[in-house]
Amino acid sequence: MTGSIRQRWRLWVNRKIPRSDEQHFTRKNIFILPSGAGAVFGLLLLIMLMTGINYQNSLIYLLTFILGAIFVAAMHQTHRNLAGLTLTLVSASEGFPGERLNFRLRATSHDEAYAIRFTTPEKETVRINVPPGEVLDFDVPVLARKRGPVSAGDIKIDTRFPFGLLKAWSWMRPESTGVCYPRPVTPPYAAGGEEEGDRNSQPRKSDDLSHADLRPWRQGDLSQRVQWKRYARTGEMVIADWEGESGEPVWLDYDAFPGADRELRLSYLAALVEARCREGVVYGLRLPGLSVELDQGSAHRLRCLRALGLQGYAETPSTLSGSTSAGKGHTFYAEIP
Amino acid sequence: MQAVTAQALPSKAIVWLLVSFGMLLVPQWDRLPWWLIVACLALATWRWLAQTGRAALPGRLVGTLIMLSLIAVYVMTVQGRFSVETAASFFVLAVGLKWLETRTARDFYVLFFILCYLAAVNFLFQQGILWTLLSLAGIFILLVGLQILNAPDVPNVASSGWKRLGVLFLKTLPVVVLLFVFFPRMAPLWSVPLVSGEAKTGISDQMEPGSISNLAQSSERAFRVTFGGRIPAHRERYWRGLILDRFVDGRWEQWQVDVRQRAGRVQSDGGIGPLQNGEYDVLLEPTYQPWAFALEGSGVVSDNVEETATGVFRFQRPADTAVRYRMAMDGRKNDDAFLSPRERQRYLHLPAEGNPRSRTLAASLRDGTASDSAFIDSLLQRFRQQSYFYTLRPPQMPQDAVDTLMFDAKRGFCAHYASATAFLLRSAGIPARIVVGYQGGSPGANGEYLIVRQYDAHAWVEAWVDGSGWVRVDPTAAIAPDRVESGLRQAMAEEGSFLENEWASPQKYGDMALLQWLSLRLDQVNYEWQRWVVGYQGQTQMNLMSRLPGNLSLRDLGYISAGVLGGALVIAGLWAGWRNRAGRTKDPALKLMAEWQRLLHKRGVRTEPSDTPAALASRASEKEPGYARLHQAFARAMNNHYYGSGPLSHDDHRRLRSVLRQLRRAS
Repeated sequence: MTGSIRQRWRLWVNRKIPRSDEQHFTRKNIFILPSGAGAVFGLLLLIMLMTGINYQNSLIYLLTFILGAIFVAAMHQTHRNLAGLTLTLVSASEGFPGERLNFRLRATSHDEAYAIRFTTPEKETVRINVPPGEVLDFDVPVLARKRGPVSAGDIKIDTRFPFGLLKAWSWMRPESTGVCYPRPVTPPYAAGGEEEGDRNSQPRKSDDLSHADLRPWRQGDLSQRVQWKRYARTGEMVIADWEGESGEPVWLDYDAFPGADRELRLSYLAALVEARCREGVVYGLRLPGLSVELDQGSAHRLRCLRALGLQGYAETPSTLSGSTSAGKGHTFYAEIP
Repeated sequence: MQAVTAQALPSKAIVWLLVSFGMLLVPQWDRLPWWLIVACLALATWRWLAQTGRAALPGRLVGTLIMLSLIAVYVMTVQGRFSVETAASFFVLAVGLKWLETRTARDFYVLFFILCYLAAVNFLFQQGILWTLLSLAGIFILLVGLQILNAPDVPNVASSGWKRLGVLFLKTLPVVVLLFVFFPRMAPLWSVPLVSGEAKTGISDQMEPGSISNLAQSSERAFRVTFGGRIPAHRERYWRGLILDRFVDGRWEQWQVDVRQRAGRVQSDGGIGPLQNGEYDVLLEPTYQPWAFALEGSGVVSDNVEETATGVFRFQRPADTAVRYRMAMDGRKNDDAFLSPRERQRYLHLPAEGNPRSRTLAASLRDGTASDSAFIDSLLQRFRQQSYFYTLRPPQMPQDAVDTLMFDAKRGFCAHYASATAFLLRSAGIPARIVVGYQGGSPGANGEYLIVRQYDAHAWVEAWVDGSGWVRVDPTAAIAPDRVESGLRQAMAEEGSFLENEWASPQKYGDMALLQWLSLRLDQVNYEWQRWVVGYQGQTQMNLMSRLPGNLSLRDLGYISAGVLGGALVIAGLWAGWRNRAGRTKDPALKLMAEWQRLLHKRGVRTEPSDTPAALASRASEKEPGYARLHQAFARAMNNHYYGSGPLSHDDHRRLRSVLRQLRRAS
């Protein structure tokens, strides 16, 4: 019974507060009620009034009225503390399962907004103070549980400032998501994997280019990969694309693990990406409907992991990450260096 | 209950709580048992040491032991007397013990609630304006402490907390005043215990030879009086309080002790409307006794006083807080002109033994006089002519006090002389009784009212003279006319014993005009406060309302109060809504953005609300290539602010403003 009431309440709230990366708090979406202490305080005022009546004591009346009026005024104050606050989701981070993903929020308020508490569905809390007219960036941690886009869920925002006798609250329901990568699992066999002790199999600094695809230098290629010796001889900038000839493919391929189910394959691939990155070698990634070109470096690693994380999920433009940002219903792709 | 429970309480908040506790204790300082004050200080100090990490809070066992032992001491000292005073000291004990338990925000709130109620209890004991301000200040400090508790990490939260609280208080003050005036003052709902069971400094219902001279050393206020007409002369101001008519072991007491009535409901109707000529208004400080003091020949006007058979006045309930009542001098005698044989016998009764010389003296005087009144005259004559002294430093008279006074010491205070006079009259067969009360009173500021203090306490004799009823006989007037004509200070000027132990009393320094003036001003402020604010009660309210058009009843007042509250809420709501709308675009960056968009719009660049700064800038650059750099810079700064490296700084702001200005000039 209570469950269904709670559900209907949540539905109603969700109608009032649509999913959005920007949340402006107004009278329309702030709820306010006395807190537990406030209810006791109300009772106390009643007892004080009784005392005043029975002892015919004007000063007790006066004290009761002063406290009561301050209580009522505090209702406005608490409400105002939240009203006028604007929250924007700036970025959502990415990570492996079990990590905390930070959703970076930006708070601005034209009025003071003190002791605002954010509670994630996992009961993580963050408290912030926003002085009037200032802008504050802060992180709300969300636990990444399974591979895929990670939503912050409904973040509850409440405040009891100034006296803690009243509680004003609302929700923020960010639309954009972070990404949870697959859990890296080292593949058991060398199919497309890496074997221990095969470290020097990639002739990185050799002049033997028989196995290499040579192609002209293009904008964006890393300078380490230019065949400088050749350049000194011939004056052309050439890039060697190595075909790993010793069971260490340069391309990490989704199809290289027959029999494993999708999640496992993605986990294998994630482990391989991590390994390649540690070695600092060049690699590419081929996934159904998507391939990430050969490259190396940390940005490349993140691109690959993100692709793995979102494999099979429609990659919505609103997927936020450190490198993309959401504005008012818009997505910017900042240039990836 | 609170977000803060997880962490330790902020020290700053604890400090405010401690200070508030101290302030709210002060009004009860003299009523609380000393062990309780010491215990409270120790416990609060302990809590503070624990807060600063120099001590540990006691464990469960030690804490329980402390609690049990303190409660045991409390129970032993209270001994089943239940009054507000014992309840208040229990509150204080509870707060003290709670200090050791204050670990979480919830405990903080429990303390907050107890202290709020403690402030209310303070108002039962002390209603002076300074005490009121002190208690309110304590409450305000508590409210600042609450703000610190709720937002400990806000920079200078205490000063902003004061400011916030002050603004809240001033905003709500009109509502508070309206509620104070219009909230229906109902009659008490049920009987409540007395505020205190203790005796206070003041007249008691027994008179031993030294009892009044002790009172004469106190400058505490007994009551204040405002007269509707002329203030009677000093020598006529005999304030009768109670009658002592039984002489036992050299001590005077009442035959019929007033059965200490059960504390009934609090009566507060002290008379309303302007004072008529001959009426006077008394504001009696709490005495915890049922006696009302009145001038000779007065009748009752207000409902809270009644006359007894012996012609003195009583409240229905002991005066446990300041009581205002109204009397009228109608000149009538306060009793029948007839003494029943039983009464006569009672007023003539003397112990069989003791004071033989005085009995002999009474007999010899009796033989030399024709009538009762002649006897009284000759007795007063003796006092006048022989060297009897009026003194605050009488010698000890343990045995046969009347004889010692009349024949050996010849030095005494009013109680001694009154006692001797009554004894002699009874010996001579004249019914006599002792009246205890006050004589005199000094004018307050501007001479608008009288202040009667404890040192004005006085005892005199009433003798029954056939044909004229009870006649006042005051031997003190015969011995020291100054005492009755102008008060104790003059009477004791030579001896220098006036308030000799009260070095801090302003009354002691009658020759320091400024001090006198100040103390009278303060008293006047307090008196007005007590009469008009503290004394604003049911009848007073109805009286005030009856002068307003509409002839309001209590129910109407209830409606008005609800209207005041509702109206205040509506106004506050509207105001908050308006503020909210006004402040919607207070975000400085948004404002800049809006200005830029308006500017572009004017230049004919298509702008959509959903356009990003970059999109706008590129469109604007196409339109005005000359200013492309400026537009791009603007868009970059905006992007940075909203989605990038960080919020706009003050300098960025200035720069953007100047960019906008340049763009404007370009048009």
